[in-house]
Amino acid sequence: MTTSTPSLSELTPTGPRQVQVSDLAGVGGRRRAKNAVMTVLMGMSVAVILVVLILVLWTVVSKGWSIVVGMFPDWFTEDIQLSPRRPGPGMKAAIVGTIITTAMASAIAIPLGIAGAVYLNEYGKRGLFARILRFFTSVMAGVPSIVMGLFIYVFWVVPRGIDGLNGFSGALALACLMLPIIVRSTEEMLKLVPQNLRDASFALGATGSRTTLGIVIPNASPGIISGCLLAIARAAGETAPLIFTIGAAKQTNWNVFDGTNTSLSLQIYANAKESFATAQERAWGAALTLIVLAVLFTAAARILSARISKQS
Amino acid sequence: MNRTKKSSAIVAGILSLSLIAAACGSDEETTTTTEAAAATTTAAAADESTTTAAAAETTVAGGVETTAAPTESSTAMSADTGVAVDYAALQGDLVSSGATFPKAFYDEAIATLAEEAPDLVIEYGGGGSGKGRSDLQEKVVDFAGTDSTVKEEDFAKFTGGEFVYVPTVLAPITLSYNMAGIDELQLTPATIAAIFQLEITNWSDPLIAADNPDATLPDEAIVVARRADGSGTTDNFSKFLNAAVGPDTTGEWLLGTGSELEWPEGTQAGDGNSGVAQIISSTEGAIGYVDLSDANANGFKFAAVQNKAGNFVLPTLDATTAAAEGVEVKDDLTFFVGWADGDQAYPIAAQTWIIAYTTQDDPAKAENIRGFLTYLLTEGQELAPSIDFAPLPDELREMAMANIAKIGA
Amino acid sequence: MTLTLSDLRTKKQVGDRVFRYSTLVGGAVILIVLALIAYTISSKSSLIFRTEGLDFFTERRWAPSADKPVFGALSFIYGTAITALIAVLLAVPVSLGLALFTTQVAPKWLKKPLVTLTDTVAVVPSVVFGLWGIIYLAPKLVGFFKNLSGWFDGIPVLSSIFGTVSAGRSFLTAGLILAVMITPIITSLAREVIETCPQTDRDGALALGATRWEMITGAVMPHSVGGIVGAVMLGLGRAMGETIAAALVIGSSPTITANIFSSGDSLPSVIAFQWGEATSDEKRSALIAMGLTLFVLTLIVNFAATAVVTRAMKRMQGAS
Repeated sequence: MTTSTPSLSELTPTGPRQVQVSDLAGVGGRRRAKNAVMTVLMGMSVAVILVVLILVLWTVVSKGWSIVVGMFPDWFTEDIQLSPRRPGPGMKAAIVGTIITTAMASAIAIPLGIAGAVYLNEYGKRGLFARILRFFTSVMAGVPSIVMGLFIYVFWVVPRGIDGLNGFSGALALACLMLPIIVRSTEEMLKLVPQNLRDASFALGATGSRTTLGIVIPNASPGIISGCLLAIARAAGETAPLIFTIGAAKQTNWNVFDGTNTSLSLQIYANAKESFATAQERAWGAALTLIVLAVLFTAAARILSARISKQS
Repeated sequence: MNRTKKSSAIVAGILSLSLIAAACGSDEETTTTTEAAAATTTAAAADESTTTAAAAETTVAGGVETTAAPTESSTAMSADTGVAVDYAALQGDLVSSGATFPKAFYDEAIATLAEEAPDLVIEYGGGGSGKGRSDLQEKVVDFAGTDSTVKEEDFAKFTGGEFVYVPTVLAPITLSYNMAGIDELQLTPATIAAIFQLEITNWSDPLIAADNPDATLPDEAIVVARRADGSGTTDNFSKFLNAAVGPDTTGEWLLGTGSELEWPEGTQAGDGNSGVAQIISSTEGAIGYVDLSDANANGFKFAAVQNKAGNFVLPTLDATTAAAEGVEVKDDLTFFVGWADGDQAYPIAAQTWIIAYTTQDDPAKAENIRGFLTYLLTEGQELAPSIDFAPLPDELREMAMANIAKIGA
Repeated sequence: MTLTLSDLRTKKQVGDRVFRYSTLVGGAVILIVLALIAYTISSKSSLIFRTEGLDFFTERRWAPSADKPVFGALSFIYGTAITALIAVLLAVPVSLGLALFTTQVAPKWLKKPLVTLTDTVAVVPSVVFGLWGIIYLAPKLVGFFKNLSGWFDGIPVLSSIFGTVSAGRSFLTAGLILAVMITPIITSLAREVIETCPQTDRDGALALGATRWEMITGAVMPHSVGGIVGAVMLGLGRAMGETIAAALVIGSSPTITANIFSSGDSLPSVIAFQWGEATSDEKRSALIAMGLTLFVLTLIVNFAATAVVTRAMKRMQGAS
């Protein structure tokens, strides 16, 4: 197959514009075929991911719909069935458990994380300690979630015996997961704050703390909040850190410090291993609830970060 | 800048509201002082373990009952043992874990007891006999379920001191299978050993055919389902195989006994009895060992197993009770009900216990434990057959009740 | 007494210093927690290393309840490696295809939805993927696996890789689920890297008469290969550490075999399932040691990945 070299006139664009693929008239058939095949393959990758995502979401929605929405509001008000073979809705305990453990974990991780990021970006910058801190933050971000759960169990739960199994222990494990994520994303957001804002503040005689608290953080706050929301969404869906730390309650327990608890993720995990259709239905319902929760938080984060990019 | 501040404020507001909700935790248990008063009178009655039904009933009836349940059901009377427990007066939490073999029974008992004792919250987490024993060792639970006995060398690990065995219920271990085309199956222990050691891998194997001369067996691969976690069910199943065809007899079963065996590569493993049930129900050609309750609830077919007397017996409750007749019970109430004598005894019957410490720091907790265990051994025994568990023989039950009294004594 | 300017200055300085050190504390917490993790995990796993030494890593048998207990981590290390490998092999073509399509092929209006599509996969919690895998996917795959296995019957090496199928829970199923989960990570990072390729390079290739695909292979890929390798390694690290989704579908049956249709077990999955039963101190120590192994392995992979990505990014920024 001969490839014909395009003539100069064919190549010369008719006016000032970008070179486009269509300008290359006369490209050899084989090369064009290869190009077409490859484009199709790339398109197929998109199709694969799209199909998988739709399949997963469709399965969750179709199997979980009747128990969550169909039996509204029982799903949200009834406690978990005491026996897996009994039919019926009720995930209140798990929903409450997810909310309070995630909230407690956020209360621990967010202030610490923002403080750490402030240090890294405003004070430490390129200093030795700051570099060590950044390094170990990445290390901590890579710790497998089950190792976190193991650590909290050995270090915190066991010394407390039976009282160690409660929402707070689970929250501690989740906080360990969230902390490096929040530090990293907050630092990125703080970097984006223009330096001249800080300089202006210093010129007016403000101290570092006044500048940071009064100017830098408020300016970066949509981005910081967005990062925190993403970390919260991630923590709400975690299972492994909670397996060893919060027990297996079936009744709603609003007290995060006392008594065992459960979470949506744990309920999905436990019911996924059951053979009874009644238990599996509850698993799908819990999955639907969890996905909706995660999507809400992530969407809020997206909207916030879209606002930033609009303003800049 | 204003709009950004506004949105940040809203989000911050939502976050803080949820934080406040978490911080202001309040237990949802309602306690009434009248029930507390009734509890003390019944506690006295229970400790004395009098046999006068009338006397016990009047003392309790005197207390104010604020629950909707009628007075009769709140005062459990067991005609045989005469121990009165006012279930409605029990309040508190109990946390437990352990064997999944009796879990369906415990779950149902907890659910029905909750109707009589609404202030007592009991959590049975399952997880396998191994988990139960180790949780109790570390006092992470108030009591534990186990299908197998604690090894002597592990006694020292129980940080709470001495503990008692309370047998609760019996049930057959079925050999459930999922194979279209086989409606009835008979298996000898030798064949079972060969299947689970992956010595035969096809349903049409001559060994299976020898046990089932009239059946046409399909040419399909066998998928063996067993337990991934430390399981009393595995322990009892292996003890049966060891007693029937182990090294001391024909030497066909080589994997020994224990809650975890070194299975050959190629078996499927499930978490808990329900995990094994899940494998069987979703895999064509699977066979595994599951308690009867889970097997029936899933609609499984199961095999008739040849017993010591040479008869092929199906895993029914009657055959299980037959296996328990005349079984030798040790002083601490441990016993083994598998590979029993008896014409119609099912050879893979299994027993299970609840273990709890005799020394209890909290008398209220001890009372709750005794209350729950008493329920299991009284009304629970009547409830058991409806979910495919066999009640204990009377003698054994009485000995169990005596052990209950030792808890927190 | 009226406050003089010097008084104010001191007050401000004190307050400022307090603030500065409290932010330091925030950061230091990370170091403290990490040190605690390292210490706790190492000290608790020391028991098994004293008993078995380094044989722990090479021992194939896992028999915690035998008369003479043997704790061997090899089957689990193998399982973690194999599932992660399968995950990467499956995810890389799809992620690259997706990244390239989004950046090179898609018209402007399609770019944003494609990014949202990728990110939505990342939002789904891993336990939901596990649920979907074990209840929906695994039973459906059995028939497909059996057909696949049939194709390779008789071919020397491939028939042992695509061997007998017993059930839907297998290395391959776990690898599939993991592949879905790591695709967003690889895709978004690859996208970022590809987008830093200077427009001039791309235009140059096109001007020389290249088709789009040739432009991609000629200009974009050489520029981005370092970053993409880093992205893949990050995905690998994530696949190795992912616990729940893989644990539910891998089969929990420790096996070392080339057969990808066989069930097996992996480090995070055995820890999750067996942790509850510390029937002996040695067993608990062995499980913690496996956690340590997993930690170290993911650490190494993540480090290498970050190093590769940073170096590639620096080089690209230098070039442009």
